[in-house]
Amino acid sequence: MRIRLAAVIAAVLVLMLAGSVFAHHATASYNMTQSSTVKGTVTNFEWTNPHAYIYLDVKDAKGTTEKWTVELGTIGMLSRAGWKRDTVKPGDEITATGNPAKDGRPLMRFEKLVFANGRELTSEVQ
Amino acid sequence: MRNRLISAAAAMAAMLVLAPASRGQGAAKPGSVPDISGVWQVTKFQPKLFPNGGAPLTAWGAAKLKAANPETNDPNLGCLPEGIPRFMFVPLPMEIFQVASRVVIIREGTQAMRQIYMNRGHRDDLYPTYSGDSVGKWEGNTLVVDTIGFNDKTWIDSSGLPHSEKMHVVERIRRVDHDTLVDDVTVEDPMAYTKPFTVQQAYKLKPGWEIQELVCTENNKYTYQGNEGTK
Repeated sequence: MRIRLAAVIAAVLVLMLAGSVFAHHATASYNMTQSSTVKGTVTNFEWTNPHAYIYLDVKDAKGTTEKWTVELGTIGMLSRAGWKRDTVKPGDEITATGNPAKDGRPLMRFEKLVFANGRELTSEVQ
Repeated sequence: MRNRLISAAAAMAAMLVLAPASRGQGAAKPGSVPDISGVWQVTKFQPKLFPNGGAPLTAWGAAKLKAANPETNDPNLGCLPEGIPRFMFVPLPMEIFQVASRVVIIREGTQAMRQIYMNRGHRDDLYPTYSGDSVGKWEGNTLVVDTIGFNDKTWIDSSGLPHSEKMHVVERIRRVDHDTLVDDVTVEDPMAYTKPFTVQQAYKLKPGWEIQELVCTENNKYTYQGNEGTK
């Protein structure tokens, strides 16, 4: 019962967050009703348009590294949310949450991330 | 966080100091036409204009919508212009400038721009374009914009609502209060729709926001498969 409640809350949160993010075409490739979370080490942060990208190496339980890509919005909107091109840096240990790609690739559409020191980042614009 | 507070405070102070002078500055003579200038951002993004279906499509239009695949043949995927009216629905800020001959809107995103000509009717030498030819006139406090001359290469919304070159768009743009702009968009296209339909997009004023550069082709990882993908 508790697990189902948590899943419902998570789904509601995803839908709320999804409604507030601005990307138009970019949601088509993602499962917008789900959230995935991965933890890993940033290898690159592309501060580019039309989307910024975070690349991270994620180690699974067996020690195998999987390369994940996190797609964010435009850098104009990111900068309005307080981001800069060095907000995320190679070597950062982060936990990233996002809508997973429909085709199962290690790709997600950004919702939030948490740094190793507990600092949380979204791309919400005030 | 402190920097953001300082910038927000500075922006507010600048706005208070400059507000009386900046409104109408560089625009048509102050007081002669309503002022809709400024940076505006959609208040609610509407990826699907008919979220529950029900667009009044003809058979031709319905076939086009069925062939539309947001993952492969949305022109947006190839950084192509949204055209009118989708330009007005994009959740990226736009800035409206008013001069005597034109209302010019620059929108963040592929350096997008539209021009609404206030000093003429439609040209008679039009060839099909993404944005069509927009002419406008004031009716009281409402800017009425009439656009024809479209190509058929754009979608009307993110779900793939289609249109033909025959599309005719009428917009009624008005500032309902200081911080709110509304665009009532009527689409008429006998090839694609059995009757005209009207949708409304509202915007909020964003004082202090500047239109940023957005070079879409810089790092576009998506592939637009073109109209061939619709067959």
